[in-house]
Amino acid sequence: MKSQLLELVKIPQHGEYLEIRLERITSALIRLQNGLVEKVQSGVEEGGYVRVLHPKTSWWFNTFSGWNGVRERVEVALHSVSLLPAGGRGVTRAEPVEAAWKCEVKEDFRYLPLDTKVKLMQEYAQIMRESAPFLSHCSVEYRDEWREIYIANSDGSFLEMGKPDVSLTFVAVARKNDRLEVYRNGVAERGGFEVVRGQESLAQEVGRKAGALLEAPSFEGGMCDVVLDPVLAGVFIHEAFGHLSEADFITRNEKLQKMMLLGKPIASPLLNVFDDGSLEGLRGSSPYDDEGIPTRRTYLIRNGYLTGRLHSRETAYLMQEFPTGNARTVSYHFPPVVRMSNTAIEEGVIDREELFRDIDRGLYAVEYIGGNTALELFTFSAAYGYRIENGKIGEMVKDIVLSGNLFRTLMQIDAVASDFRWTQIGGCGKGEQMGLPTPTGSPHIRLRGVLVGGHKSV
Amino acid sequence: MFEVMGLVKKSGLRGDLFVTELREKSVIYEAGRLKEYSVQEETGYGLRVIRPDGRVGFYASNRTMEPQVFLNGALEVSEFGDPVFFDIPSYPAFLEWKDFVDSKIEAMDIHEMVEIGEYLVSQIQGEYPEVCVDLELRAGWEGKTLVNHHEERMHFARTFFRIGVTVNRTTSEDILEIYAERSWGNKDINLEDLLQEIKRKLDFSKSLVKMRGGRYPVIFTPGGSLVLLYPLLYGLNGKNVVLGKSFLQDKWGKVLFSSLFSLLETSHEPWTLGTCPFDDEGIMTQAEKFLVENGRLEEGFFDLWSGSQAKRSSRGNGFRPSYRHLPEPTFATLKMRSGLRDRETLLEELEEGLVVDSVLGLGQSNVASGIFSCSVQLGFYVKDGEIQGRVKDVMLSGNAYQALRDIKEISRDTRWVHGRMLLPYVLVEPLQIEA
Repeated sequence: MKSQLLELVKIPQHGEYLEIRLERITSALIRLQNGLVEKVQSGVEEGGYVRVLHPKTSWWFNTFSGWNGVRERVEVALHSVSLLPAGGRGVTRAEPVEAAWKCEVKEDFRYLPLDTKVKLMQEYAQIMRESAPFLSHCSVEYRDEWREIYIANSDGSFLEMGKPDVSLTFVAVARKNDRLEVYRNGVAERGGFEVVRGQESLAQEVGRKAGALLEAPSFEGGMCDVVLDPVLAGVFIHEAFGHLSEADFITRNEKLQKMMLLGKPIASPLLNVFDDGSLEGLRGSSPYDDEGIPTRRTYLIRNGYLTGRLHSRETAYLMQEFPTGNARTVSYHFPPVVRMSNTAIEEGVIDREELFRDIDRGLYAVEYIGGNTALELFTFSAAYGYRIENGKIGEMVKDIVLSGNLFRTLMQIDAVASDFRWTQIGGCGKGEQMGLPTPTGSPHIRLRGVLVGGHKSV
Repeated sequence: MFEVMGLVKKSGLRGDLFVTELREKSVIYEAGRLKEYSVQEETGYGLRVIRPDGRVGFYASNRTMEPQVFLNGALEVSEFGDPVFFDIPSYPAFLEWKDFVDSKIEAMDIHEMVEIGEYLVSQIQGEYPEVCVDLELRAGWEGKTLVNHHEERMHFARTFFRIGVTVNRTTSEDILEIYAERSWGNKDINLEDLLQEIKRKLDFSKSLVKMRGGRYPVIFTPGGSLVLLYPLLYGLNGKNVVLGKSFLQDKWGKVLFSSLFSLLETSHEPWTLGTCPFDDEGIMTQAEKFLVENGRLEEGFFDLWSGSQAKRSSRGNGFRPSYRHLPEPTFATLKMRSGLRDRETLLEELEEGLVVDSVLGLGQSNVASGIFSCSVQLGFYVKDGEIQGRVKDVMLSGNAYQALRDIKEISRDTRWVHGRMLLPYVLVEPLQIEA
């Protein structure tokens, strides 16, 4: 395959950039609902894309099932792309690379009998169901996926990557009369089946938390000081800031470029934020991105100053900066676009306990249900939280939604603790491309004067 | 690949093969200029089998393979499923339906798509030179085929045409983003109507105004009313009902909402993006089915699995997101019954309140209990019956089930949202607003 693809990418003669991706996805899904096996699915999928950028026109993108007829597709693409209207685009070229990279796992789930997987999930389901009273529903969902990816491009590069991804999600619903509470948590990693073993205590905790949420009062909402736990702080930096640092948001909008001018003070001087796709063992990592550019660490914020942004070949070309290895796609169905890899707030120096000490009345917000962003506007929900009263963590509360304006909120961070950790569960969506693994990392952080939406009981 | 069903039959199994085919062309504009032309082709197969002991197997692939290998893939999985208590239906031989295929969409080429793109961009930027326009046009054909273990076969195809426009206006103090879309099964999308909506939103957003937190009447636009529908659709989902996750599970036949509120599923509505004669597991869909009638909860969405669990029959609500998935209960085409008066009248009579067009954070609260708490992405403050300007940093919270009770008026004018939900403007009073 290598020699064939490398031969094909030599065809363009008029300065076109050609990229070919072939992909095989082997996957399995097991879902248990209330202890019953609701779904077991497995499958294998093959497909690919051919995309071409003509220096005088625009992009031609063709995604297809199967691996056949690639040469014909390349020929059609090269012909068709020249007929497109002028678009004024370009890509940064890079040195050719040839690499074969496969993530090593302890227990390769592709060769594990389904039986082993289902039995373990049944054990977890049992544990969760017995963990608390009032549980009206418990689900256990296991997914594994192995991607074999082959990429060749006009740089003369050829990459072969093997990416496993495995996840386990527990959901518990507790019910009392008309009040329903949902709590979910899980694990996800780039690894083998070993990742989902030994999660008995997590299964138990998920059931218990759902039960505890039934008893917790709703948070009233309003302006207050908030401490975010590492999970929520990670989501915050991903949602509120990370997306704005993806260069494709600003390449064609001069006003936005001014707003995101490098060197501009944008956050509290305590804040350092980076994105790093080259870290080992995280779900957002790989040695090269989907355009064959080496991944690396990019500091987005340093000491409160805006210092970098994330690029694909195209956005780097358009803004005359360098590609950062952040062109990623969820699968062969879509072209790579600028995405975060592993994004984090760097740890500070003070102890976690210090963050709570001088808050008279506030909120400790923990974990998340979801988050969304529309440029400077963001919103995200905590799974639950605790009141902070006179510097102490108090009663558990629920129905917490934090929202605000990015630029104002980044300035309101007045403390960053030293207890950094990564969170790997969850996926990110951009446009049509949903569920891309984008781990986030952070220590506990404190925000002053944030608008918190709660729920007043009716 | 159809031969596999002969093998299923011979092996004494029940089952169905679900085949999807997709051909799509799209153009993408970024900041008013063409960025990409894209072509997508995909065919995929999902095989579901039910063994004599009721256990289900499923295997999906997009490559052609030996029928026996395909069947073995599904059988391997069937070892682990819990028994199901439904049957794969026979397909009626006597019913006929027509495909909703518009030859004008099939024939649409890049030049035509670019022409539409250029027109929309020039119309918007001509009047508002300060804005940045991103645009997506998608046109295509999708077909689905079902074959059961009796080797009966059904096929249905429809075309689709989708236009999505995002307009961005950035100033030193503010970023405004407006989204408008039109989706339909044939080429008859009214571009002028789409342009008018965008222009209206831009005009209303000219000035930023502040509003104080408190309890206000709120008018939801057709797009905005998803705030109210989202938790309701979650509750109507048969799977959530069966699994104890639905607020509505023990309330069938009860009056829960305002008598002004009726919600129907109309699966045969011509040229909608949901229209279909049968669902993705071979059950005939209904021309009209009340989910809520005058505030009374009538029926939910059940597929074969959830229907059998709940001792209700599926009435054509088993749909698959792709060939890779087993069916899940959802709807084909929805309609909220409209009212008697124009949206302008609703607005004119509003002393003080908010118009909500889109929100951020739909579904990130406790949806099961009906709770919503979202930031208003595009909303307008109304005083003395007139829109004063756009609001920013405002949150809307409440309980959708309560809000549906508090509907005070529903407009006569409606709009198709995403080509499959016909929704009016809805006035709810009061709702909690944090600012």
